Parts: sequence; structure tokens; C-alpha cells
Amino acid sequence: MAPEKLQLPLPFEQIMQRHEREIMRYLLRVSGNGADAADLFQETWLRAYRAYPRLEPGSEIRPWLYAIAVNLCRNRARDGVRRARVIVAQEEKNPAVDRMIKGHRGFSENEGYAAVRLRELIASLPPKQREALQFRYFAGMDFADIAAAMECSEQGARANVSQAIRKIKLAW
Amino acid sequence: MLMKIEKLMGSIGGEFEGHGIDALLRSSRRRVDHALKHVRRPDAAVGIVKSPLGDLLVAMTGRGIVLNHYLLGGDDLAATIAKLRFELDLVEDRRTIKEVGEEIRRYIGGEAAALRRNIDLTLAVSPFQKKVLHKLQEVPRGTVVSYQALGAAAGAPKGARAVGNAMHNNPVPIYVPCHRVIASDGRIGGYGGGAARKLQLLRSEGFALADAALRLPDNVVWGHKGTKIYCRANCRTAARVDRSRILFFAGAREARQAGMRPCKICQPA
Repeated sequence: MAPEKLQLPLPFEQIMQRHEREIMRYLLRVSGNGADAADLFQETWLRAYRAYPRLEPGSEIRPWLYAIAVNLCRNRARDGVRRARVIVAQEEKNPAVDRMIKGHRGFSENEGYAAVRLRELIASLPPKQREALQFRYFAGMDFADIAAAMECSEQGARANVSQAIRKIKLAW
Repeated sequence: MLMKIEKLMGSIGGEFEGHGIDALLRSSRRRVDHALKHVRRPDAAVGIVKSPLGDLLVAMTGRGIVLNHYLLGGDDLAATIAKLRFELDLVEDRRTIKEVGEEIRRYIGGEAAALRRNIDLTLAVSPFQKKVLHKLQEVPRGTVVSYQALGAAAGAPKGARAVGNAMHNNPVPIYVPCHRVIASDGRIGGYGGGAARKLQLLRSEGFALADAALRLPDNVVWGHKGTKIYCRANCRTAARVDRSRILFFAGAREARQAGMRPCKICQPA
């Protein structure tokens, strides 16, 4: 019998060291605040650890990690909407905030307001387009990785990103 | 316009760059480490060992040898690793594992006390299996028991089949001597690594067995754990003895070492 070569999966510790910074950066940019990002960060790595034995050896780790992170973000967004609905039902809707959100079109030359406006537009996109856009611009992934993380084709990933950009530009 | 949106996309979240992210990363990392503590799988050193019995995949935790697996070729190695990952965090460590290979080599070479490593039965699939494997460790070199007798010793006198299953799933063969378990009528029976390996092991422990032997040889004696008497295989008392309480010995010497006296009827050597 030919001597067999032992091929072990990467120790999880190494995966964490290699990817924790980019995952944190991505979560910060998606969630927009440190507390949420820290929670999501912890959940992401816990889930990744539990799911790691199921990851086939030799498959790409980065899109797999982002897929876990984006799932958690999606869940959190859904829970957040639920929570927000309750709050809105209890309190009166604040007209001043509405005016503020709708009224800053004229300030688009100002970077700060433009960023706020852009955040809103991103938030209003359909989930797939939003996630693809965030993978592309927040995580800096290429289309092959985005496709792997979202379990779609590369063309699909490309289309989602360009649709997202087009919609944002139209609404701008 | 296009440039502008894309540039802006890049700048979103820019406020977190710099040493703010470092501090957040440090504190979050501590939280993750703390949370992982509760779900961590034990670490295990793994490696492939070359032995007179063929290639073995060996894994060791801090407590001892947790897996000793005959590699059967094909995708057996990959499949075993894939299964093992659910139980243990694997790290390759050739040096530690090599020492295990050395022990096995010396043991097959005839050094009775060569197997010194501790055993970790974490991978035993059931409490019953654990119990049976513990009992089996009391069966010394140069002795074999039947599935039935081992079952009786582990509290399951009718559990010969169950003992067979427990042996089949033995995570640490050689060290937990499942090769010392045979059918109660003296047939050698099967073995996870193939019957040839079982014969090889038993031969190295003093049983005079031919290459393709199916039964224990004629010079084997059996002894009763209660009466402490040992007999030839063909002694006429064999018909009425309680088979769940007998042991087979490679020879009269091994039986006497176990504190037994020869039968006065069949008068074994």
C-alpha cells in the first residue's frame, strides 16, 4: 500500500487570526455601530466554529465566513424591524425625523449627509442586491467569492451588484 | 457620478478605521474566546504510524490515545478524518505519534510491556461499549475470552452480539485488546482490521496459530474463573461448564500464571 499523506484542515485558530480583522471591518460597515458589530462578531465566530467540521476540506474559507456573517446580519435586521415596529406602534411617529430623512437631498455635496443618504438607499435595496453590494464594496470581495458566499452564479452576483448601483444612482 | 457613488461606498464606515478597530477587535476577541470555551472540542495530535500491522491513523488527546485506526486504503483516511473533526480539533504532530508506532512495533516484536500509553475512551459510542472496553482491558496478554464471557463480565450475559458491536467500533484497537475476543466455540472470529491482523496479534502473544487458522490451536487450555481450574480443550467437563465464566489461555504456563490449577480429569500439562 502506498504511504498515505495526511491532510488536515487548517486549525480554526489560524482561520480566526487570518480573517478576524476583515470580518470585524465588514460587520462595522454593515451594522454602522460598534456594539452591534461586536455582537455579530462573536456570533459569527461561534457559529463558524460549530460549523467548521461540516466545511469540506479544500473549500474556500473566506466566502464561507462571509456567508455566516451575512446570515446573522439578515437575522438581526429582521429582528430589528420587528423591534422597531413595536416601538413605532407604542410611540407617536416623529415627524421631525421624517423631514430630516427626506429633506437632505440638497445637501448631497456634503460628505456627511451624503453618507447618511447612501446608507438609507442601501438599506432600501432588496436583500440580495444589498448583500452583494456590501460584499463588493465593504468586504472588497471578487465576484467569484460573492457567488460562493451567496450560493449563486458569478453572473448573478455581478447582476445584483450592478442593479444595486443603478438603483442608488437613480434615487440619488 | 459613478465614480462618486463608488468612492462614497468605500468611505462608509471609514470612521471605524484606525486604532478604534484594534481596541474593538481585542475586546471582541476576548469575548469570543470566552464563549468558545464552552463549546470547544478537545485538541488532539494526529499522525500516520507505520507498523508491522500496516498503516495506522493515531490520535492522542492530553489524556491518552483516543483513536488507533487501521487504514484500509481508498478514501478511508479522508472519511475517518472527516468524522473525527466533529469530535476533536486536529493538529498534526508526528513526533508524539511516532512514539506510539514505536510501542506497537516493540509489542509485536514480543516485548510484553511495550504498550505504556494511557487510553482515552472519549470516542466510545455508548456507556455499554465503554464498560465492555474497560472490562476487556483486564484480559491479559496470552489469554482470550469469548464474546459471551465478556458480555457476562460487563453485566450482559446475553449480550454476545452487543459485545461484537462494541468490538467492531473499538476506537483504540491493539491498546484495548479486542483481538483477544473470540467465539465461545473456539473460532477466531472477525476483526476490524481484517482477520489476518487478529491472527498476527494473537501469534505475537503466544498462541500457536497458522496463517489462515479459523480456530484456536489444540494446545490451548481453558480455565474457569470460579473454580480456578484449567482443562484441555477436549476435557469432558467442557460440556457442562458455564461458558460465560471461562477464559482461554495460550498454554498451561499462562493459566498457572493466572493462578489456576490443572484439572484432575483431563490432566493438562
